[in-house]
Amino acid sequence: MKRSTGRVLTTHVGSLPRPDDLMALYRDNASDESLHLRLRSAIGDVVRRQVESGIDVVNDGEFGKAMRSAMDFGAWWSYVYPRLAGYELREEQAKKGRAAWTFGSKERKEFAEFYAAEASAAATASQGGTSTARLYGLTCTAPVKYVGHTAIKRDIENLTAAVRANHVEDAFMTAVSPATLQILPNEYYKSREDYTFALAEAIREEYKAIVDAGFILQIDDPALVDIYDWWFSMNDDLTGYRKWAEFQVEAVNHALQGIPEDRVRFHICWGSWHGPHKGDVELKDVVDLLLKVKAQGYSVEAGNVRHEHEWKVWQNTKLPDGKLVVPGVVSHATNVLEHPELVADRIVRFAKAVGRENVIASTDCGLGGRVHPQLAWAKLQALTEGARLATKQLWP
Amino acid sequence: MRRSDQRIITTHVGSLSRPPELLALNAARRSGAADTSAYVKGLTAAVAAVVTKQREVGIDVANDGEFGKPMSAAYDYGAWWNYAFERLEGFEAPDSIPESEHKKSAVAELSLTTFARRRDWQQFSEFYHDPTSGLVGSAPARRQRRPVCVGPLRYKGHAQTKADIDRLKSALAQAGIEEGFMTSVAPASFARGEDLYYKTEEDFVAAAAEAIREEYQAIIDAGLVLQIDDPSLPDNWDMINPEPPLEEFKKFSRVRIDALNYALRSLPEDRIRYHICWGSWHGPHTTDIALADIVDLVLTVRAQAYSVEAANVRHEHEWRVWQDVKLPDGKIVVPGIVSHATNVVEHPRLVADRIIRFAKIVGRENVIASTDCGLGGRIHPQIAWAKLQALAEGAKLATGELWR
Repeated sequence: MKRSTGRVLTTHVGSLPRPDDLMALYRDNASDESLHLRLRSAIGDVVRRQVESGIDVVNDGEFGKAMRSAMDFGAWWSYVYPRLAGYELREEQAKKGRAAWTFGSKERKEFAEFYAAEASAAATASQGGTSTARLYGLTCTAPVKYVGHTAIKRDIENLTAAVRANHVEDAFMTAVSPATLQILPNEYYKSREDYTFALAEAIREEYKAIVDAGFILQIDDPALVDIYDWWFSMNDDLTGYRKWAEFQVEAVNHALQGIPEDRVRFHICWGSWHGPHKGDVELKDVVDLLLKVKAQGYSVEAGNVRHEHEWKVWQNTKLPDGKLVVPGVVSHATNVLEHPELVADRIVRFAKAVGRENVIASTDCGLGGRVHPQLAWAKLQALTEGARLATKQLWP
Repeated sequence: MRRSDQRIITTHVGSLSRPPELLALNAARRSGAADTSAYVKGLTAAVAAVVTKQREVGIDVANDGEFGKPMSAAYDYGAWWNYAFERLEGFEAPDSIPESEHKKSAVAELSLTTFARRRDWQQFSEFYHDPTSGLVGSAPARRQRRPVCVGPLRYKGHAQTKADIDRLKSALAQAGIEEGFMTSVAPASFARGEDLYYKTEEDFVAAAAEAIREEYQAIIDAGLVLQIDDPSLPDNWDMINPEPPLEEFKKFSRVRIDALNYALRSLPEDRIRYHICWGSWHGPHTTDIALADIVDLVLTVRAQAYSVEAANVRHEHEWRVWQDVKLPDGKIVVPGIVSHATNVVEHPRLVADRIIRFAKIVGRENVIASTDCGLGGRIHPQIAWAKLQALAEGAKLATGELWR
């Protein structure tokens, strides 16, 4: 994986704004043929646009992961639904939404009125239905099995073609973590542990395909940190949470067996919804477990006001030799455009804490579906401008 | 005015979330259906409650939440200046008056443009015109025409302002709060609507200064800290399309500050704080003027304290401006440490870090921790209060580090 030798490199977390006609194809369950044709050209465009914006490590914008409306926070993991066998769709469960899977959240309790208002606004905004709405109804009732070979092959071919056409050196592709998948209710496996390991075995096929194709694999694992609030916060059960997280790290490492560490980056975030996030677990309480994941790069939110101060965690935590931090220095959490000087300040702080060659500047989370497309692209521009300013300071 | 002499004290920019009952009373009053005594009773109770709540969350210098400035919807960005139409003579409803452009400035080669032609709005027009963009209070609502100036301006809000003052003072006394503030609009932030009466924009501003002075005087005479709200100083920059030469803009702004200082003449500087911000809507703000370009003008305002946005991602880096600019002796900076620009609640540790940055530059006793802009009408009420709580908690952390 490329690192920042000579200048600060830039990347982003994955999701980029989808063209309207692509979303319409997904919404209308278009035929494979017409979908594939449009996907190919859209991915070509989005790679070119990343290059033009100055992004060094690019991806396919996650366009192969179905998004059905312009504001949609869930495509990064709902994509897996047609790619995994072993699940049954239950309408009643789907209606409850994510609430069906929580053991109580302090955040949702404290900000109940806000979340109620948000839910009704979101329902109005996403006329096409969000991608997660489908996911909420799934329960595991049979052995899980990866069946997404055709889909991942298509995604890989599309990105390969776009990367060649644009002469890009380093590209990444995202795939979901076992910890995230094990949130889906299970009736088949005897224990959560068995279930999680079965998921790790299954999703590993996708990981291998991505790495075998020569791409950097980015594992998306918001669950590793956001599950604290959903499952453990009501009793402030940090111990129980850490035990759970430690096991999840084992599971993802199981899925990564035999995959070269220097081809893997690992993304955590505390959930991308525009809420207060007061219930988020602190990075300092989980960073030791994070560093056990067999990845070279760690992508962590640091560009929003709940987690910005956590750059200091890296002053007190030794980043193992050869590893990289990929901090969020611009965020989807505000419509305001980060000033390039702020971006530079944030990058320089990280560079001073862990070494300039060990930082790749990134976003908090995918921007697509989470801020307006015009703002998403302007934020990537601010990111690369800020990286240039930081480079001047760091390589004087 | 109180300063941070033993600990970091906190305040906010003014607007707080109106409770639903008050919004209903405002709406009834607006439609003419209000029972005056019910309105007054409801407003008085709401002010008492909001003052107590500020004390409970740990705000030191409190206000009436601007509840006397009517807002009839939960999201409303304009009450801070719209209130003044009711309190000044010389305006008429725009219904039968054809729309007019801003006049050309008499002192600089430029003129203000309409909201829709702002540079920020043009550059990001897709965003601004997308109803699903998540922009609260987006374009159509904001472009409602305001009353038009058709005759000489004269202040007539004495009774309303006195009632606001009395309500706030009795609420402060009940809550045991030492110092309260009340906001009032700056002449240039108010006199930039449609005007058919005055010859030039500058005459309009000067007349506004003469008239609104009476409100300033009343607030100060009552023993409250007067906060002058003047987003127009930075915000006019984006309302000039194309971007003007900086020197022309400064000439244009200089006259407006002179008018404000004229309105503030002979009022005690140590009872006045001056608030600027770059407009509170949830947009990209890429065409905001840099604080460094206008800070010299800001510091010429006859006020003891300067309230400036510093907590949103467009202006956060500008704390460094205070490294290069000497804050005159005795003056106070009131930086925005938490912001309405994001639903995410600032971590108290971030709040403390931001406060400490300012304190190290200008001196701990010269910082009062505040918000970027009023939180009411700009963010969900639950989040607004959580942000004030984060502000107070962060100020405590900062105090622990700055006084040891």
